[in-house]
Amino acid sequence: MTPRPTLLALTLALLTPTAAAQGATSVRLGFFPNLTHAPALVGLERGTFQKALGKVKLEPKEFVSGTTLTEAFAAGQIDIAYVGPGPAINAAARGMPLQIIAGASEAGAVLIARKDSGIKTYKDLAGKRVAVPSLGNTQDISLRHILKEQGLKAQTDGGNVTVTPVAPADVLAAFAANRVDATLVPEPWGAALEARGHLLVGSEKTVWRGGAYPTTIVIVNTKFAQANPALVAAFLKAHGEAVAFLTGKPAAAAASVNKELEALTGQKLDLRVLQRAMNRTRFTTNLDPAALGEYAALNVEAGYARGTVDLAPFLNPGLKR
Amino acid sequence: MTTTSLDTRTPLRRPSRWRMLGWQLLGLVLLLALWWFVTDVLRLYPPYVFPSPRAVWTEISYGLWGSGPQDGKLLAGIGNSLRRVLVGYASAVVLGGVVGLLMGAWRPLRDTLGAYLTGIQSVPSIAFVPFAILFFGLNERAVLFVVILEGFIPVALAVSGALMNVPPALRIAGRTLGARGLDLTTGVLLPSAVPSILTGLRTAWSFAWRALVGAELLVSASASLGAQLEIGRNTANIALVIATILTIGVIGGVFDALLRVLETRVRRDYGLEVQQ
Repeated sequence: MTPRPTLLALTLALLTPTAAAQGATSVRLGFFPNLTHAPALVGLERGTFQKALGKVKLEPKEFVSGTTLTEAFAAGQIDIAYVGPGPAINAAARGMPLQIIAGASEAGAVLIARKDSGIKTYKDLAGKRVAVPSLGNTQDISLRHILKEQGLKAQTDGGNVTVTPVAPADVLAAFAANRVDATLVPEPWGAALEARGHLLVGSEKTVWRGGAYPTTIVIVNTKFAQANPALVAAFLKAHGEAVAFLTGKPAAAAASVNKELEALTGQKLDLRVLQRAMNRTRFTTNLDPAALGEYAALNVEAGYARGTVDLAPFLNPGLKR
Repeated sequence: MTTTSLDTRTPLRRPSRWRMLGWQLLGLVLLLALWWFVTDVLRLYPPYVFPSPRAVWTEISYGLWGSGPQDGKLLAGIGNSLRRVLVGYASAVVLGGVVGLLMGAWRPLRDTLGAYLTGIQSVPSIAFVPFAILFFGLNERAVLFVVILEGFIPVALAVSGALMNVPPALRIAGRTLGARGLDLTTGVLLPSAVPSILTGLRTAWSFAWRALVGAELLVSASASLGAQLEIGRNTANIALVIATILTIGVIGGVFDALLRVLETRVRRDYGLEVQQ
């Protein structure tokens, strides 16, 4: 029953994920169709990224949660990604080769309650079912911190608040079917729920740190960055342009975001709804290491890691080498 | 040996059983050694793709008897999952038993419902989860629905099949002695069908266990083995995923072995296990 060595070696070689190639001919970009990923949306819609990359082809890949994005990243199928700090910190803690190179958005997550749920304040979440985009994601970590501050606990930790994963785009249906009572969602889903008469319980400012927390950051595969520094620099420049467009020309940016969201999700938002969502989200390329460090601590508090990971080796704003 | 032995306690069987256990243990050790060699020595994979046995053991030990505030989740998950599967399985056995009896007693029902049940059985249990969530909500009832649905079909089919396969001689003998209708079913047919029914019960267990973990994976609101898998996946903690898979396999295997012992004993009592 001894396996033939050649066959074994071949099998293992086939199973081993391939590293990012030197002198890449394409940049594979991961992102979600959320307003908190708006720099990605306008960068794609206006062709900013492709222009900056020149002949190198941009391959945008859309994800619905940090989970699947992290898996694709681990499998070496993503080079650069817009992702929440939660999944990025978890991935870093497991030793995935990633560099956090820029901020993308801050705040932009709100807690909305179903209109007939009876929830008016955070305290009322006791005994209720609250949806988050996915377990262990940025909003889940924030929610567990809110619960802790209110003296509440998730059912999995022996409390009575049921935290359940529901994709943001499906929350409207989940509200309609009475499957969940509240949700902590990234924009524009919060504003969209509000437009249907559901209630804003926690604004982006009361979720955490008065709103001064990262919601989306930009990460790059370390090997890819080492092999293609010029490409990453070009991408970061385009990212900066997209953020400047979002902050400088909000009305035009809203139209651009809406166009891209419709192309991706098939849902067109009322421009006033989108405007409201944009007012609750701050777009910036800045990274606040202190806020990220505190997020890592909240990640431990939420039970998703046993110890805080030192983010210093992963933080590389602007990819200074 | 040409003599037949119906007694398990004869020393003749012992050595082979121990030898088999020895081989199984050796296989396990070799597998662990290969795993360790590939991950810790050759380092063929990054740890976030394929972790070492030590990393998985850490997850198991923290999850089962760790004392930190976030530890013991695997144990809590096992508790919840076992409670659910036992409730679901018991309900499935009762429901399957009744439906099977009815199908065995009344041919038109067997020809119609039986065919549908075989069809439903071929649908993977996870396919029923979205429907169960809409019907019952994101809660335990949705999970139980899927477990019972998956568990009762093999029981019903086994009971009706076993009743159908009772040797005609027994049926005729029963009738001759005056048993009719329900008396014939419960007094003559059912006892003789017990070995086949037990096989059905064992199949139902593995169906129910698999359906449970599949449903928990999608309805991961409270502590469970399925939720552990989902959390491990969401936090890029593949060691936790492997630890949970091992736990699911061990529990499934232990229960299957217990049912197999029961099945073997009954088959022996019925004179169906004859050693050569």
